[in-house]
Amino acid sequence: MTSDSRIGVMGHHYRRILFFLLVLLTTLGAMSLLSVAFQDGGTRPHELVMLGLYAILTLWISASFWTATIGFAMLVTGRDHYAIANADTRGAGAAPSGPFKTALVMPVYNEDPVRVFAGLRAMWQSLVETGQQDGFEVFVVSDTRDPDIWVEEELLWRRWAKEMGHPARVFYRNRVENTSRKSGNIADFCRRWGGRYRYMIVLDADSIMAGETLVEMVARMERNPKVALIQVPPVPVNRSSLFSRMLQFAGSLYGRMFTAGLSYWQLGTSNFWGHNAIIRVKPFADHCGLPKLPGREPFGGEILSHDFVEAALLRRAGWRVWLAYDLGGSYEEIPPTLIDYAKRDRRWCQGNLQHSRLVFARGFKPLSRIHFAMGVMSYMASPLWLIFLVVTGVAAYFQSLVEPVYFFGNNILPVWPETYTVEMTTVLWVTLTMLFLPKILALVLLAAKPALSRQFGGLVRATLSVLTESLFSVLLAPVLMLFQSKFVLAILLRQNVGWPAQQRGDHQTGFAEAFGTHLSHTLIAVVVGFLSYQYVPSFFWWFTPVLAGLALSIPVSMITSRVWLGQLARRAGIFLTPEETAQPRVLHLLEQNLERAGTPLCTTATGGDLWYRAVVDPCAYALHASMLPDETPNRRRRHYLEGLIFQLQDEGLGSLKPNEKRALVSHRDGLFELHTLLWAAAQPPSPGQIAGAAASSGAIHQ
Amino acid sequence: MDSGIAMAGAAGQSGAAVAAADRSPAAWAPVSERVALYLRALGIEDPLHRERLLARIQQRWEARVSVVPLEDPVEAGIEEAYALLDAWLCAELDITGELDALFTARAAVLSGAVPNWSARFSGVSGESIAAQVRAAGVQPEPEPAPLDMAPSTINLCCHDLGRRITGALRVLAGNEPAAAAPRTEQPR
Repeated sequence: MTSDSRIGVMGHHYRRILFFLLVLLTTLGAMSLLSVAFQDGGTRPHELVMLGLYAILTLWISASFWTATIGFAMLVTGRDHYAIANADTRGAGAAPSGPFKTALVMPVYNEDPVRVFAGLRAMWQSLVETGQQDGFEVFVVSDTRDPDIWVEEELLWRRWAKEMGHPARVFYRNRVENTSRKSGNIADFCRRWGGRYRYMIVLDADSIMAGETLVEMVARMERNPKVALIQVPPVPVNRSSLFSRMLQFAGSLYGRMFTAGLSYWQLGTSNFWGHNAIIRVKPFADHCGLPKLPGREPFGGEILSHDFVEAALLRRAGWRVWLAYDLGGSYEEIPPTLIDYAKRDRRWCQGNLQHSRLVFARGFKPLSRIHFAMGVMSYMASPLWLIFLVVTGVAAYFQSLVEPVYFFGNNILPVWPETYTVEMTTVLWVTLTMLFLPKILALVLLAAKPALSRQFGGLVRATLSVLTESLFSVLLAPVLMLFQSKFVLAILLRQNVGWPAQQRGDHQTGFAEAFGTHLSHTLIAVVVGFLSYQYVPSFFWWFTPVLAGLALSIPVSMITSRVWLGQLARRAGIFLTPEETAQPRVLHLLEQNLERAGTPLCTTATGGDLWYRAVVDPCAYALHASMLPDETPNRRRRHYLEGLIFQLQDEGLGSLKPNEKRALVSHRDGLFELHTLLWAAAQPPSPGQIAGAAASSGAIHQ
Repeated sequence: MDSGIAMAGAAGQSGAAVAAADRSPAAWAPVSERVALYLRALGIEDPLHRERLLARIQQRWEARVSVVPLEDPVEAGIEEAYALLDAWLCAELDITGELDALFTARAAVLSGAVPNWSARFSGVSGESIAAQVRAAGVQPEPEPAPLDMAPSTINLCCHDLGRRITGALRVLAGNEPAAAAPRTEQPR
C-alpha cells in the first residue's frame, strides 16, 4: 500500500490554467484580427453578429486544437505525471477489502444477438486467457422489444450458459417495460443485483474489450478507492467500407492525441462516454439515479444522453472520474456509411442539446459544466457555421454594391480605400491551421515513433492516408453541417427524434437512398452557387469548397459506402490502423465466434420467425417460459391476450404487430394456452411447417 | 391458412365437443395420434417410452372426460401430456409448488441436456436422474442483491424564470399574482 497520491494535487490546477489560457488567448487573437477588418467605417450590426459567431466557433476550434497539440506533446515525450495509470491512492482513504466481483454489463435493445453474444464470448475467452476470469460475471440486460430477437437472445444465452456450466457466470434478463431506455436498464440492474458487484464494466452492443484491459481496469480502481469511473477510449474497428475505414484511421491516429490531450486538462473530472468504462457500483447507485427534467420533450422529460450527467453527478458527490487514454484493448464498431452516421448523430443530437439545461444547474463542478457545454457545441457548431456563412455571403453581397469613392471634396489626389486583405487572410489561415495542424502533428508523431508508424502502414502511406482523409473530410463537412443543422432545428421546433436502434454492420448506400437523402443538399449547392456566382463572384470562389461538398454529396455518399473501395484501399495500405496491421487477439476471437455462430440451442428453432417457434417448438417454448416472471396477468390483460389469440385464429400471424406478438409470449399462462392450442390444430406443427407457418401471413382458418 | 396449420377453434379440431363420460377408444384415437406426435416433439424418440406414456396420458384424459365435457379433446390431451411431465418433474426433484424450479427443470430436459430422461419419465428406468436435471438447469438471473437507487435531485437554474419574472412584475404593478395551477410534474 502506498500513500503516493497524485490525485487532487496543485499541478492539476496549473494544467487547467495553462490550457484555458491558451484557448482564450488564441480566441482573442483571432477575434482581434477580425475586428480590425470590421472597424473600417464603424462596426455594422451584421459584423457584430459575425464577430460573435466567430468568437464562439474559434473558442470551440481552439479548444480542440490545443487539446490535440498538448496530447501530441504528451505522446511524443511519453510523460504524464498525473495519469491514472501511475496513481495509487489507497493510503488516502478507506479502501474496500475482501473478495469482490465485477460484472460485464451488456445492455441491448433490438441488436443483432449473434454479434452481441459473439462479442461477449470473445471478451470472456480473452479473460480466460489472462487466468483471472474468476472475479468476473457476464450480465446481458436486454431491453429488446422485438419478439424474434428476444427469443434468439434467450436461445443464444442458454447455449452459452450451458457450455460454461457451473457455477453460473453468464446471466440474462429481459425487462418487462423499457422505462428510461438505457439508463433505466442499467439502473434496473443496479437496483436488483448491484449489491452483488463492486464494479461493473458497461459495454455497448458493438463493444469489444481485451481481457488484459478488463483486468487492468479493475486493478486501477482497486488502487484508487476514490475513483468511481474510469473511461477507456474505444478505438473504432472492424468495418470495411471506405467511409468507416477513413473514420477508423482518423479515430485511431488523431484520436490518441485528442484523448491524451483531454486527459491532460480534465484529469479527475473526465467524462463518461456511455460504454467501455468501469464503474464503482455503490456510488453509482447512490448518486446516479436520473430524475426527469421538468417540462416537455425534447428538452424536458427523461434524460436521453445519460453518460455525461452520470459523470457530473459522481463528481458532484466528490468521486473522481478518469480517462485512461493509455489503456489499449478497447474497441467499438462505427456506422458504415455517411447516412448511418447522420442517423446516429440524429439520436445523439437531442440528448446533447438537452444538456444545455444542465450547464447552469446548481452544484455541478465547473469542468462538468464545460463537458455539458462541449456536448451542446458538438451539435450547435454546425448551425452556427451555417449562419456565419450565410451572414458572410450577405455581407459580401452588400459590400459588392458599394461604389468606391476615390475623390473627396476638392482633393485632386485620389484616396485609396483601405484594404484589410492581410487581416482577413490571416484570419482564414489561423482557422485553417487550427483545423488541419493536428493532422500534421499526427504525422510528426508517426515520424518520431517508427514502431507506431509501421502500424499505420509506414510514414509514406500514412501521409497519403492523411491527405485523402483530409480531402474527404472537406467534402463531407458541409453535408454533416446541413444534417446537424436540420436536426438542431427539428429539436428546437420540439419535434422528437425518437431513439431507434442503430444500423450496425457493413452495408452500402444505393442510388435511391443517396438521391432521396442528399437531393436537398445538391439543390442548395446549385442555387447558392448560381446566386453567388451571379451576384458576388469573388465570394463564389471562396465558397467553392463548401459548395463542392454539397454538390457532390450523392456520389460521395455512395462511393464512400463501398466496401470494395475500402478493401482496395486496405490492400494499398491506405487508412491502415494498428488493429488492421496486427489484429488484436480479442478481435480475432470475435471473428472466429461469428464464423462459428451456428445454430441456437433448440435445433428446430433455427432461422425464420423465432417468436412463432417459441410458441410451438417445445424446447424453445420451455426455455422461454422458464425465463418469464412468475406472475398472473390481471383480468384486463387476460381479455387483451384472449383477443389477440382470436385475432391470430381469424386473421393469421401476419395480422399481429410486433408488440402484440410480444404481449402474447410475455406471460406463462397465455403462452401455454397458445402452445396447446396450436398443437391441437387440425394440422399439427412440425419443424418444416413451423417455418412455413412463420412465413405465412394468411388467416388461420378453423 | 396458407401453411395448412388450422387451429382448433372453440369447437376443437374434431369439430364437436366430447361429451362427459365418452371415454370410448373411438374418442381417444385421434387424440392419441396427436399426443404421440407431441411426445416426439418433446424429444421422446423411443416408441416404447411413448407407448407407456400414452397409456398414462390416456388414463388422465379419461379421468378428465368423466368429470367435465371437453371443448377440445385434442387440446386436453396435449395439456395432460404436459401435466404428466410437470408432475413427474415435481416428484423426481421434490419441488412441488416451486414454479420457477419446475420451469427451469422443464427447460433443462426439453433442451436435450439430460440424456435418457424419457426412460425415467416413462418409467422404463428406475434410476433417479434428479442430479442430472438439476445440473442441467441454468438460472437466467442470480439471487437478488438489491441496492437503493433513488433519483438524484438536479436543481435547474432559471427554470420557470419567465413565469417568476411575470409574477414579480404583476406584484410590482400592484396586481395580485394569479393563483398558481397545481403542479403535475415530479418534485425536483
